[in-house]
Amino acid sequence: MGLLSIIRKIKRKEKEMRILMVGLDNSGKTTIVLKINGEDTSVISPTLGFNIKTISYQKYTLNIWDVGGQKTIRAYWRNYFEQTDGLIWVVDSSDLRRLDDCRNELHNLLKEERLSGASLLIFANKQDIQGALSPSEIAKVLNLDAMDKTRHWKIVGCSAYTGEGLLEGFDWLVQDIASRIYVLD
Amino acid sequence: MIKVLISLIGVLNLLGFGQNFFYRKNWLPESDASNPSSMSNQNLDPSIHKKHQAMLERLSNRHQARARSKESDSCPSFESTDSFLARFSELKQSITSELTQIEQTPESFTKADLDNVSAQVSELEKLVAENSYHLPSYEVRASLKTIADLKESLEKVALKLVPRKKFSFKGKASKPSQPVAAVEKVKNEKPDLVPSETRSFVLDTSGFRDRKGEVLVENLKGKDMGEFMLSDLVSCDVRLMGRSRAIFIHRLRNCKVYAGPALGSVLIDDVEDCVFVLASHQIRIHNAKRCDFYLRVRSRPIIEDSNCVRFAPYCLQYDGIEDDLRESRLDEETGNWENVDDFKWLRAVQSPNWSILPENERMSDFRISSADG
Ligand SMILES: Nc1nc2c(ncn2[C@@H]2O[C@H](COP(=O)(O)OP(=O)(O)OP(=O)(O)O)[C@@H](O)[C@H]2O)c(=O)[nH]1
Ligand SMILES: [Mg+2]
Repeated sequence: MGLLSIIRKIKRKEKEMRILMVGLDNSGKTTIVLKINGEDTSVISPTLGFNIKTISYQKYTLNIWDVGGQKTIRAYWRNYFEQTDGLIWVVDSSDLRRLDDCRNELHNLLKEERLSGASLLIFANKQDIQGALSPSEIAKVLNLDAMDKTRHWKIVGCSAYTGEGLLEGFDWLVQDIASRIYVLD
Repeated sequence: MIKVLISLIGVLNLLGFGQNFFYRKNWLPESDASNPSSMSNQNLDPSIHKKHQAMLERLSNRHQARARSKESDSCPSFESTDSFLARFSELKQSITSELTQIEQTPESFTKADLDNVSAQVSELEKLVAENSYHLPSYEVRASLKTIADLKESLEKVALKLVPRKKFSFKGKASKPSQPVAAVEKVKNEKPDLVPSETRSFVLDTSGFRDRKGEVLVENLKGKDMGEFMLSDLVSCDVRLMGRSRAIFIHRLRNCKVYAGPALGSVLIDDVEDCVFVLASHQIRIHNAKRCDFYLRVRSRPIIEDSNCVRFAPYCLQYDGIEDDLRESRLDEETGNWENVDDFKWLRAVQSPNWSILPENERMSDFRISSADG
């Protein structure tokens, strides 16, 4: 067996997925990652840089890059585009005032060549807050219909507080990536 | 001021793993993996024993070198590309040479040795993470590529060492994953992209907007906990009793805002000449000028695009506030009111944009009640 084939085999066995998580500041990205990993979410500071979490999810190893969304930091998002299998865009569904910002940042991101192959999961977070928009309303405001037809995407309502919707979102994302990358299995 | 600075740096170092790589100066892992004494050493074959000795020595040297460089390093690592590159290549070399050794005589190494190398790779990854903000994006990409290559070599070597057992990377922070247990029924299986009825988006939000020169009082007690919005207020005095899930504050001039605890975050944007008395898990301040903040906060308050803002501890009183604070897990003074992160001033020296409100200028306990209106 040649070296290359060994490596390829390991890679397929490893089943690593690289997931980039972005969205406006305060949308709940860090809370979501900690919650899904079963960690304490009671003291979270706004992300000044980024966090990497490696979690095993079903039979896959997810490398989740949770990048801060404060304005100052958004310019650095592009440092993390390389080799992204899945993109999670998190929306604070209760922050009505900034939905325009949210839409513009998302559509800018989707223009990015290096992300063109990535599956897109949109979390309409904070559904537990009274007055939050529903996922379908968010879909409309974000103009998701206007997205490139080749893009694999899904929007899921969730709450990082209660955990509702998180597994549904991750299940879809992981399955969608797996069906593209690990076709041979 | 100097005292403040020291305590600030102290807090930075205390930040846990997984939070804010960027600011964490002390990036060495605390795990046993970097501690030479924890390495496996049961094998009694003399030649192997010698090898282990050599490795221990090497590790210990490196450990000391690191400790030294940490001491002399008065600026955080992220301020210099050169020092990053030096540290990166030092670590990389040591990983490569260990891998080479293991590869040449796999029979004299154990899984613990591999785990140790793996921990070093994670360390390297963290180093890149922390420094990514000041590094040219080329360096970031190149470093990430190097790490990917190292991982590949490590796996290759692992295959030789433990041909049957699968070896996999474990991030230092990764616990066995324990995803949220209960998945409740999910609302929108297939999102309906064209909602049948478009509702006005501001309808459900409670709050005050477009007011001038008024005293605005609201008691949230007994109401469904939701968000509360204050926007476009001039010369108003806002008194908010009870708990909320989140507070949004936008475009305030010359106002005073006294509020009970918010369970999630308080988001502030575009405020001038105001005083805020707030308690919340997170407080995020944007575009604030000449404002004083009296805060109780569980995480670190942040400012961005702000200046002449000053901070002091929370000082609000109303009937039942103790219960409200306790139920929001904000009863304890964390001292975080003074641990402000300025996103426009990412250096270890004190930001010129904010300061601590001198004690003799602070207001004393301020009492509000429903009868204030
Ligand atoms: N009510 C409610 N609050 C939430 C939810 N998810 C997050 N929050 C709160 O929203 C605030 C922001 O959460 P973070 O996870 O820090 O947000 P982020 O997207 O990581 O923010 P940046 O790091 O600045 O990009 C915190 O106060 C959370 O407690 C949710 O589902 N419901
Ligand atoms: Mg965050």
